[in-house]
Amino acid sequence: MAEQFQEPVVEQIYTLNLGPQHPSTHGVLRVLLDLDGEFIIKADPVIGYGHRGHEKMAENRTYKQFMPNSSRMDYLSGLLYNHGFVLAVERFAGVEVPERAKYIRVICAELNRISSHLLWFGTYIMDLGGFTPFLYCFDDRENILDILDRVTGSRLTYSYCRFGGVNRDLDGEFISMTRAFIERLRSRWTDYHNLVTKNVIFIHRTRDVGVITPELARQYGVVGPNLRACGIPFDVRKSEPYEVYDRFDFVIPTGTKGDALDRYNVRLEEMEQSCRIIEQALDQLPEGPHINEVAPFKVKPPRGEIYFAFESARGLTAYYLVSDGSPYPYRCHIRVPSFGNLQVLTEVFRGTLVADAISILGSIDVVIPEIDR
Amino acid sequence: MGSEMASDWIRIIVGLIIVLAFSQLNALFLVWLERKVAGHIQLRYGPMEVGPHGILQTIADGIKLVGKELITPLSADWKLFVIAPVLVFMPVLVAFLVLPFDENLVIRDMNLGVLLIFAFSTLSVLAILAGGWAANNKYALLGAIRSVAQNVAYEIPLLLAVLSVALMTQSLRFSEIVAAQCRVWFIFLQPVAGLIFLICATAETNRAPFDIPEAESELIAGFHTEYSGMRFGLFFLAEYTNMFIVSAVATALFFGGWHGPFGFSFGLPGIVWFLLKVYILLFVIMWVRWTFPRVRFDQLMNFSWKVMLPLSLLNLIVTAAVLKFI
Amino acid sequence: MSNRETITQKLQAMLPADDVCRDESCQAGVLFSAQVPLAKLRDAMKECDTAGYYLESITALDFEDTFELVYHLNCYEPRARVAVRVLCGHDQSPATVSDIFPSALWQEREVHDFFGIEFVGSPDMRPLLMPEDADCYPLRKTFGKVYAYHKRDEIYG
Repeated sequence: MAEQFQEPVVEQIYTLNLGPQHPSTHGVLRVLLDLDGEFIIKADPVIGYGHRGHEKMAENRTYKQFMPNSSRMDYLSGLLYNHGFVLAVERFAGVEVPERAKYIRVICAELNRISSHLLWFGTYIMDLGGFTPFLYCFDDRENILDILDRVTGSRLTYSYCRFGGVNRDLDGEFISMTRAFIERLRSRWTDYHNLVTKNVIFIHRTRDVGVITPELARQYGVVGPNLRACGIPFDVRKSEPYEVYDRFDFVIPTGTKGDALDRYNVRLEEMEQSCRIIEQALDQLPEGPHINEVAPFKVKPPRGEIYFAFESARGLTAYYLVSDGSPYPYRCHIRVPSFGNLQVLTEVFRGTLVADAISILGSIDVVIPEIDR
Repeated sequence: MGSEMASDWIRIIVGLIIVLAFSQLNALFLVWLERKVAGHIQLRYGPMEVGPHGILQTIADGIKLVGKELITPLSADWKLFVIAPVLVFMPVLVAFLVLPFDENLVIRDMNLGVLLIFAFSTLSVLAILAGGWAANNKYALLGAIRSVAQNVAYEIPLLLAVLSVALMTQSLRFSEIVAAQCRVWFIFLQPVAGLIFLICATAETNRAPFDIPEAESELIAGFHTEYSGMRFGLFFLAEYTNMFIVSAVATALFFGGWHGPFGFSFGLPGIVWFLLKVYILLFVIMWVRWTFPRVRFDQLMNFSWKVMLPLSLLNLIVTAAVLKFI
Repeated sequence: MSNRETITQKLQAMLPADDVCRDESCQAGVLFSAQVPLAKLRDAMKECDTAGYYLESITALDFEDTFELVYHLNCYEPRARVAVRVLCGHDQSPATVSDIFPSALWQEREVHDFFGIEFVGSPDMRPLLMPEDADCYPLRKTFGKVYAYHKRDEIYG
């Protein structure tokens, strides 16, 4: 029916204000929808409700002081952002990092990626009206939070990485907990596939819904799983390997059509690949210090700039830092993946039903505070 | 003659009081049951605090709802807005008049009982439309529109499924239909009609996976978005009472009513069998809700007009042919 | 020929040798950096578009003497990021590129929010992240507490 959408002949357009308080806008997103019946003629996302001015804050803080801010942009994959910021400053200022710390960071970052994808999985099915998988996912995610809580001391907005290493070392308990968790997660796939992936209602709600073609993705700068779902195997962990990602054997899952079902499958497969990375990292975990004790107390990068890209749970994220040689960044710009991912919706929403719009919005996996910064 | 009239009236008044009490208590119980079922399906306990295993939770919720302010939006059509929750509950009560709980436990055994139930249950659509329209809220209006389209679409296959049962028994009287199933339940003779009935009944009561009129991830709360306090409570109670009624009708039409399986009653009275089957069906409806995602609106309509309607028509024709030639 | 080579050659042909800089190691995250005059911005972006690049980010830097707009573009190849840098005086207005890259629309709105730079020809310059009634440009160095306000040469000279 969505394919039969035609330009409305009547001039009476029903404007629906979806959000900012709405059960499925995931944060404070407001979308002005012009409707013809239940077909969307035009969608105009309104953002900025969660703008906190992180970029201005960065200019008034030292690099170390800004570190806690970094995990508060995308609160679902805070550790990844934290990791990315630390990596950017380390490369900029030339701080050495011990081998063990690199592995620890990768393990924690990938755990965080799984937790972010698990939360997406649950909330996406909830957007489609299925409540139960949501709680199953939260049950699994709770495990990750416990594991990360053990070593980082926090459950959501981690500030675990330090310039030159990590805050606390891993212990044997952490390693056995992580291995047990991976075992458990793998046994859960069957449940998830039986409950959701093979469900005929779910397939009908997602197949051919919200198709993003490779060209559309390029025009709007769509990145991450959404881009990979349309068949382009682009992942910063492979194309510009940072940290120790080039030492692990993992594949980039891709889709073919770029519809919501592909995005779903890509994310599910990504969790499995993250499990593989964690396992390999745990196997290769070297002995040694977890932090570079001789790292400078006050980081002062040289004059110039750096653009550091990394793969967060939602795609290519980048810190653009300009330094004047002082301990304060002259400018700190954060390129967030959800920015392009959300903007493409203005195009994708056209001609879909309201119910599909919710499905598409969920499948894109945007985190609004990340866009608002 | 006069005393007969009087006894008839007393029967109806007593019946109504019992029905009111039963339907309210039953709805409270069902809300609790739903939360318990949902909880256990979702790896949690559900309500546990108020009373043993949270059995009094819904009563506490009810008291809270009664104590809440009844808000009428300024731009609402207040007459319709106020009357809609009452309208939605009335047809639900009428349906109890003809439900055959046991061989002799019927308030009024009419010869058009089946027809009466469906005639009145259709009225609740009007109440939903009134409520959604009067609230002057865009989500409510969308929900009401969806609700009407859905109810009209699913009523037809539903009635056709019931018709094939009526053809077999040559009656629209519940007691006769149930009596005809004392050996074999109609679900075994009319499996297609039974399945169609169950699916359509789920859609008629706006239950997941067909709960699109109140799809909270799309339309906040659908037609009752603007309702608060006990007005919302009435919509809520009506939904659960409706669930009970469709399950009871399904039990009477397809699952042998007060009869035990294959004529064996195992010494249990009819009402126990009847309620047992009703609650098993209710459990299945809840189970479905907490398992499946929601279908999309156009898929729902397509499913009704393109699958359910032809199938139920075919079933009716086959039934008629078989009855004619055998 | 890969996209990154195409665009490098195109931009090199377009600009004087002093204004382009190629860093194979990508130490600063950028393979190729091009200092483009304001008038040639749209031409450079069109070349990037035809070469199969996507627009990753638009941002501005506020210096005492000038604004600098930095466009980061990337394609789906390893280490291929291109930075197009445009100097834009405090009273100048760059042309929009939102018709070349639709994703530029929001990013230009964001730059407008934070720096007050008007993009000529943009179909939509409403505030994006800032409130509708905001009367300040927070990322300008003249706003609020700042530690440093440099001339461009003090950082890049």
